[in-house]
Amino acid sequence: MRNEPLVLGIETSCDETAVGIVRGRTLLANVISSSVEQHARFGGVVPEIASRAHLEAMQNVIGQALLEAKVSLSDIDALGVTAGPGLIGALLVGTSAASGLALALDKPLYGVNHLSSHIAVDALDQDRVLEPAIGLLVSGGHSSILKVSDLASDVEVLGATIDDAAGEAFDKIARLLDLDFPGGPAIDRLAHSGNASAIDFPRGLTHANDLTEHLYDFSFSGLKTATSRYLKATPDAVRADVAASFQEAVVDVLLTKAISAARAFGYESMIIAGGVAANSRLRAEAARRCEQAGIRLRTPPVSLCTDNGAMVAALTSLMVGAGQSPTGIGFAADSSSGLERLLWR
Amino acid sequence: MTVTLAIDTSTDRTSVAIVRDGQILIELHHDDALAHGEVLPKLVQQALAIEDAIDQVAIGMGPGPFTGLRVGIAFGQSFALGRGIPWFGVSSLDAIAVDAGLEDFIVAIDARRKELFWARYFEGRRITEPAVSVHQIVEELGVTIIRTPPRAAAIAELSISQNLREPLYIRRPDAYPLPAGIIFRTVNAMDAVAMYSIEQEIYKGEDPWSLAQFKEEIAAKDRYYIIAESEGRVIGYAGVMLVGDLTDILTMTVAPAFRRKGIAREFLKRLTDWSRNKKVIAVMLEVRFDNTEAIPLYEANGFRKISERADYYGPGKTALVMRKELS
Ligand SMILES: [Zn+2]
Repeated sequence: MRNEPLVLGIETSCDETAVGIVRGRTLLANVISSSVEQHARFGGVVPEIASRAHLEAMQNVIGQALLEAKVSLSDIDALGVTAGPGLIGALLVGTSAASGLALALDKPLYGVNHLSSHIAVDALDQDRVLEPAIGLLVSGGHSSILKVSDLASDVEVLGATIDDAAGEAFDKIARLLDLDFPGGPAIDRLAHSGNASAIDFPRGLTHANDLTEHLYDFSFSGLKTATSRYLKATPDAVRADVAASFQEAVVDVLLTKAISAARAFGYESMIIAGGVAANSRLRAEAARRCEQAGIRLRTPPVSLCTDNGAMVAALTSLMVGAGQSPTGIGFAADSSSGLERLLWR
Repeated sequence: MTVTLAIDTSTDRTSVAIVRDGQILIELHHDDALAHGEVLPKLVQQALAIEDAIDQVAIGMGPGPFTGLRVGIAFGQSFALGRGIPWFGVSSLDAIAVDAGLEDFIVAIDARRKELFWARYFEGRRITEPAVSVHQIVEELGVTIIRTPPRAAAIAELSISQNLREPLYIRRPDAYPLPAGIIFRTVNAMDAVAMYSIEQEIYKGEDPWSLAQFKEEIAAKDRYYIIAESEGRVIGYAGVMLVGDLTDILTMTVAPAFRRKGIAREFLKRLTDWSRNKKVIAVMLEVRFDNTEAIPLYEANGFRKISERADYYGPGKTALVMRKELS
């Protein structure tokens, strides 16, 4: 245990200022300061507000993480930071803070990919790393199916949303239903008392003619339109039924595509991560369908599904363990990077 | 002996210096408006090769374009944390002024969107609060404008006397949260009665304005009144009057049930914006000496006490006269 690397990870790609500390694959600390409440009245994240909040919170969050992990900065062996994708002004607060620490401590710095770290968080506190696996990454910012051959070096995007992210769709429908931002938890709660098969909402990109070009891609804009149209046309609509039926349509299309990817590549494992992985219906239905399909399913604890620093530390730790050389200092954050860039060079 | 690592990213320039007791050991800079994040760590690394035993960090806190500015602050704070040493925040405008060598001048930093962050200096002292204005307003003052980027060594020099803990943003984020569900609009004649009834409720026994006064005020020239409304009901009002090259805030009133929601702050912002558009040099206001809610709000928004008026609000009730420089 002791000779495993002690890694501190910083995440600031969106509205969470987060620092995690791991030793090898053991989680020691996961501290998050969220500016979500400041964005609530806009129904979405405001970049300048997020960036200001990151700078305000950063020093405290680092300090708290060290306290929680019961380590001091001089014990840290390596640093990791989200270098993209994300909001550029937000990312820069994180990469600059990480560079300052790395130079002060003279320790290696890894600039890593936000998407793959969402999946890599699964490696924490597990007997073994699950690979190869299909990764289903669903959140307010992303909805992708990933082919994970090696968490630290080989992750490929099979498909992604062509319009809204799943989490965004939840936010928009929540607004139509007069629910709070963020919409995911609110719809999840309301859907508990609704009938999921009450309304037959469309499943985007599942028709045969869509599948040739968009086999593993998602589209949620049609579902959003259909839900909004239904609410307008049905003055006495049962809100809980609308929430449950909408949620069912999202869950159905996510899992149908992810499981068909696992079958196509002969992968026996699946990891579901990202903020929407906290959705109780997605978790329950994924467990049921994966068992049916003979697929080993792992969903990280809810606290590690939304953006956090532990996932950055986890991915960095895997890279250190695999002997990958660090990024070093003075790299550019990239707001729109894809997964071809797991580690910044 | 104190060794200071100084950083400034408030302009297109990224500046780094290491200074030992006033003696510059190394000073480096690089000009690129979009690359502070990449450039700064490399410059610091280069500088540390000359002297690595740093005792403190001095950071330019702006004002300046936000994204680049935050790079320097986040980096500097974290470097200090990593080394377990203190950091000191310094006004980047003041650092430029150090090198000016003039008696009366303005220091300005590009604020993008055709605006400048700026402040005026006289005989080595800053005489206005840092502000943001369109170029033309600053130029019309007819004073020499210095726009060279700050030297990091000057940031180090000022760290002896300054210890700013927050960035000097000056400009609010575009989408600063407005009080939820509150609508702001300009006044019309129909509002007089609603304003009068709030006035009665709040200033009972303290010489409230009469209904006739409200009607006159609304109709008067060189006035600007705004109304805050919640669910179609007037819940507050504020007004300002143009007098020569000044504006004077006449009233800022919020119904008790709606206080502490940021309504007064929004009023103040809108009255100040209106004043700025009238190209006045300052906004004035009077506030009762014991109004402990309003005074900190005014101070936080750049108002400074310039004098007192005894018995202004009745016997023993002194008014503080406060002023905010706009140009
Ligand atoms: Zn994310």
